[in-house]
This record gives sequence, structure tokens and C-alpha cells, in this order.
Amino acid sequence: MDRPLIIEKLTRIFRTVFNDEAIVLRDDLTANDVANWDSLTHMMMIGEVEKDFSVKFKLKELGKLEDVKSLIDLIESKVGGQRLL
Amino acid sequence: MNEYLIRKAIAADIPFLADVVIASEKGMSDRLSFTTLFNKSEEETKKLIIQMFEEEIDGCELSLSSFIVTEFEGKPVSGSGAWIECFHENMQSGILKSNLISYTFGKESIEYLKTKSHIVKDVLIDREPMTLQLEYFHIKDEHLGKGLDAALMERIEQNALAEYPELKKVQCQIFKNSVFSIKILLRHGFKIVGSYKSGNEEIFDYLPYNEKLLMEKILKTD
Repeated sequence: MDRPLIIEKLTRIFRTVFNDEAIVLRDDLTANDVANWDSLTHMMMIGEVEKDFSVKFKLKELGKLEDVKSLIDLIESKVGGQRLL
Repeated sequence: MNEYLIRKAIAADIPFLADVVIASEKGMSDRLSFTTLFNKSEEETKKLIIQMFEEEIDGCELSLSSFIVTEFEGKPVSGSGAWIECFHENMQSGILKSNLISYTFGKESIEYLKTKSHIVKDVLIDREPMTLQLEYFHIKDEHLGKGLDAALMERIEQNALAEYPELKKVQCQIFKNSVFSIKILLRHGFKIVGSYKSGNEEIFDYLPYNEKLLMEKILKTD
């Protein structure tokens, strides 16, 4: 699985949803670190991730997302071996 | 007051709590954000709210564990939700609620929300960690004026202090046109500490009002 590609796609999603072209993803990034990451944009971010990566998260999985690393890990576990482009 | 039983909410209360959420969300209007922002009917919304309660995610306004219920002659007549924000290292309640909605409402609703979110963003208020957050306070009309509001408020604070003795304040976010509820909160020692207003007139099609107040009651000073 190509983790850099996941990060690249996820960066595009974050920059669009949170309306900030300067966002650089790092493992420990959380909602507290991003100005526009609120309850509304969180829903949109999850929706975009599910759409772009063609995945569907379980509620239990969403509840374990502590930071960007856990989101990348989760996406990676779902799209393992899947061709992204 | 002896004829009333105040107790923690149980799973059997969930349909009633869905009604409490819907009535509280509408406030003094006929607009329900769960329907207007997510393009759902009120009937569908009630089913989805029930589903969200059934997930039993703690720490937000759609958590069964956040609610107390008043029974009169064996039937629920009031429901009140309150939780300590980010307690037990929980995520922010807004994120927990968003996870519930994302999971339950489905992608079409989230796509719809994307086209409307700019209208309501100015009245979103951050919740302060480790404060008691009061949300959804509803008493059936025929039981108003009987002292239930004071008893409920006291019980909510007692329960929270029993769980977290260092608790310093209670906060409540409320639309400015909810004049009756604001009056109750002021009577119970709350003060208005902030105001968040949207200049977008479209907001009246989606939310009960264009201005939200942050009200606060200090329980303990340092």
C-alpha cells in the first residue's frame, strides 16, 4: 500500500475542507491544531475521505481517530492493495 | 414535587428523548436543523436520532448517559441533557456528534450539508473543556410552573459535581429568541457571557434564529 499517496490525497482533502492551503499533515495533527476544524467541517472531511477513498467507516472506527496518524492508518487498512489512481 | 421521579435516562426512554431533542432544537421556531441542514423529513430525523442514541456514545448531546428524565405517573414528562466536555479524555463533543451524524445520516445528507454549512458557521460556538455543558432542556407544557426546572437544574449540577468535584462552571448555548428558557437560566444564576450572530439572512430558513448566546454559571471560583 502506498502510504505517501494516501497522505497526498488526504492533504488535498484537508486543504479544501478546512480552507487552508498551508496545511501540512503530520502524525500528531488534531482538530485542536486546525483553525477551521469544527463539528461541521469534521463531517465534511469524513464524507470527503469516504468518497475519495471509496471506503465506509464504522462508528467504532471513527471513535478511535485521535489524530491524523490514526486516520491514515485506518484508510491504509481499508484500501490495502487497492489502486488509488 | 413528590409526585415526580427524577432519574437517569434508560434505553426505554430513547423515543421520548428523540422528541426532547426535536422540541429543544426547534426552540421557539418550527425549524429543525437536523431536517433543514441534512435534507431529511422530521419523521426520518426522529428515527435517525433514535439510532444515534442507541449507539450509546458517551460525552455529547446525543449520549443516553448525558440525560436525566422526570417521570410523572410512570410516564416521562421532561428530559435534560448535560455532560462534562472532554471528560475522561473524551474527544470534543462536537466531533463525537459529527461522527454519529456522519455514520447515521449517510453521504447524501453530508453532501447536502456541504452546500449549507457556510450559512450557519457564524453561530457555532466552541465548548470549553472540563465544563458542564447543558443542552436540551425540555419539560412538557402541562408540567411547567411546578418547580421542575429548579429541581432538574439542581440534580444536573449535583450529578456532575459527584462525578467531578473540581467542576467550576456550567455553560449553555441558546438561541436568542428562546426567551422563556433564557429567563429560566437567568433565574438559576446563569449570565450571558457571549453572543454569536450571523449576518446571513438565509439562516432563518435553517435555524431557529440568527443569534446564539453563550450563558454561564460559576459553581466554584479558584
